[in-house]
Amino acid sequence: MPENADGNIQVKAGRHREADLYKALHGAGAADGRTLEQLRQAALGVYDATELPVWRRSGFWTTNLQTLDLDALDVRHHEPGEQPAVVTRTIPERARAGRIVQQDGSVVHIELQSSLAEQGVILCSLQDAAEQHQQLFAEHYSKRLTIDRNKLEAANAAFWSGGVFLYVPPGVVVEDPFEVVYAICEQGVAQYGRTLVIGDRASDFRVHEYDLAENFEGQSLHAGAFEMYLHDGARARLAQIQDWGSGEVYDCSTRVVALARDAYCHWLPALLGGHLVRQHLELAVTEPGGDMAFRGLFFTEARELLDVFAVDLHETGPSGGDVHWRGAATGQSRASFEGLIQIDPGAQKTHTYLQIHSMMLSPKARVDAIPSVLVSADDVSASHGGTVGELDETAIFYMQSRGLDRPSAVRVIIEGFFEPLLTELADEHLAGLVREKIAGKLAAAREDIETYAASR
Amino acid sequence: MADLEIRNLHVRTEDHEILRGVDLNIDRNEVHALMGPNGSGKSTLANTLLGHPDYEITEGSISFKGQDITEAEPHERAKAGLFLAFQYPVAIPGVSVANFLRMAINAKREEPIRVKEFGQELQSAIDLLDVDRTFTSRHLNDGFSGGEKKRAEILQMAMLKPDVAILDETDSGLDIDALRTVAEGVSKLQAEQGMGALIITHYQRILHYIQPQFVHIMLNGRIVLEGGVELVERLEREGYDEIRRQYGSEVTAGANSSGESSA
Ligand SMILES: Nc1ncnc2c1ncn2[C@@H]1O[C@H](COP(=O)(O)OP(=O)(O)OP(=O)(O)O)[C@@H](O)[C@H]1O
Ligand SMILES: [Mg+2]
Repeated sequence: MPENADGNIQVKAGRHREADLYKALHGAGAADGRTLEQLRQAALGVYDATELPVWRRSGFWTTNLQTLDLDALDVRHHEPGEQPAVVTRTIPERARAGRIVQQDGSVVHIELQSSLAEQGVILCSLQDAAEQHQQLFAEHYSKRLTIDRNKLEAANAAFWSGGVFLYVPPGVVVEDPFEVVYAICEQGVAQYGRTLVIGDRASDFRVHEYDLAENFEGQSLHAGAFEMYLHDGARARLAQIQDWGSGEVYDCSTRVVALARDAYCHWLPALLGGHLVRQHLELAVTEPGGDMAFRGLFFTEARELLDVFAVDLHETGPSGGDVHWRGAATGQSRASFEGLIQIDPGAQKTHTYLQIHSMMLSPKARVDAIPSVLVSADDVSASHGGTVGELDETAIFYMQSRGLDRPSAVRVIIEGFFEPLLTELADEHLAGLVREKIAGKLAAAREDIETYAASR
Repeated sequence: MADLEIRNLHVRTEDHEILRGVDLNIDRNEVHALMGPNGSGKSTLANTLLGHPDYEITEGSISFKGQDITEAEPHERAKAGLFLAFQYPVAIPGVSVANFLRMAINAKREEPIRVKEFGQELQSAIDLLDVDRTFTSRHLNDGFSGGEKKRAEILQMAMLKPDVAILDETDSGLDIDALRTVAEGVSKLQAEQGMGALIITHYQRILHYIQPQFVHIMLNGRIVLEGGVELVERLEREGYDEIRRQYGSEVTAGANSSGESSA
């Protein structure tokens, strides 16, 4: 992005590069040989020159971040110490490789199994990594993340503090998950979270990210940037449990996973709550032999708004992709999902499939799903499918006739709807947590679901 | 008073009246067969007994074990001990047979069933119905063949141990071996706990394995003829045309009593 190098980008107030919004980032990272300080400066220029975004997907949805009172928020810092209550309360106790917790603007807790540290695994704040692991940092930081697509992306690049850095050395295999936690505990917080994960050659590991907030009144912001690089033959399973609670939490984040030769990633974000959530999620095969399973689930409720742009990007072939998302909505919530398969000219022998299934559980809830395919190679297969469903009354009666009351029957159907993805998580702790959260949302929307059923 | 008592039941959907005054008594330990041409209202009766929301009861009543259940929620009827093996069982994607059974059993109990006890009961039901062990880890009715669906219905019946079971064409689509297994399942529950059964069928074959004491013939939303097994033979011989001629829609009220022999 040379035109932004000096920060003099021309962006009129209130206007944004909408055309870029539903486009793959496509490796257009900002780093370009610049130092962290230079990048922060450039991003600050963009930040100052832009307004909060309003994104229109004409005919479908509008994602308006201008209701966020950004001036009223600040980055708050804490000394390392106790983990926030929402963290210990939510995350299942289990064996873990390590855990790093960022509360508001600071990393407050880091732990790493000593045997892993001995093998060269690094888990530290990104701030520390920038100083202590300069080469790894310079080689990867912002390699595929931009700083100029909107004000909040720029804000993250300019102001991030704390942050998470995970490095798994060549050939190291870790069974238990690394837990990466971002927690917001009160209103008025701007959290600029930034994660960099590097899986070196033939490493094999799991990352579980938790995005959690207390149920407070008022606004807070998480503007996140996540990048994960899997080198040749590396394998990772990445799951993200996001539940920002009932407060007015805005989340505007970009996440990129890039696969080198023969690398594999299974990625499953579970987006389970947030006042207004915009996620750009991009899984890119950048070298031959990369293979990915890109899963995702979401559940919106009350007046939440979710806007997901998921990209299945194949820069080279042969490569494999498989995108499978499921979502449900209750209340007056809106969920918008755009899934893009993009196959570049060089990506011959790519095979990929995208499916999105959704369920609308109340009369005012709305789920839009737009699958799209952009293919520039001829020897490939790429297709998409999906369903939009409502509760199946015959199935409900069937279960009732076996003794389940109606709310239980509804819960069973919804759990069943998400089950293919929960099974794939291959992790009973996580699956249990997701089930529990979904059950809670269904219980909260019980009346709503009833009225809807009666009206049909 | 019979365990299941259906009095002058009139049922309609939004568009039209389907049941037009059905009377039927079923006691525990009794086997009843309900026969009748396609569209005569057999499944409507079965679904109405379990409280299907599509069917509105405009007149009459249903009582079960002394309780009026005409207005009861479907799950309450199930908990009271009624069971329906569906003519067209519904697929429940993402829910395994075993998990579903556990939920259904627990719905009837105060304390959840112990893992071990559940395992034992499931195993004996599996043995009884001669299904594969992997059957119970498959998603309920999802991608099941016709025969597998019917077996899954009976497996549920065996686990839930109802007082009165309604089997809506459970025999259709079953080969003779499967039919025998299903019949054995029903007989066992009868012998063990005196279950009553209402067997809805078009065919004589199942009735060779499960001898009904009472046979009811439904035509146009009414039971027009009642008797013992000899009725089944008559039906095989004459078909519905003869019965239709005698008790068809032009015949009104009196038709019901002319076939009186049981109930
Ligand atoms: N939910 C419904 N809405 C509208 N009409 C219905 C509904 N259910 C049943 N009917 C109609 O009521 C009549 C009786 O149907 P029912 O399924 O009870 O017959 P049946 O005796 O079980 O037939 P079969 O032997 O073919 O199973 C038919 O004309 C059918 O089309
Ligand atoms: Mg029928």
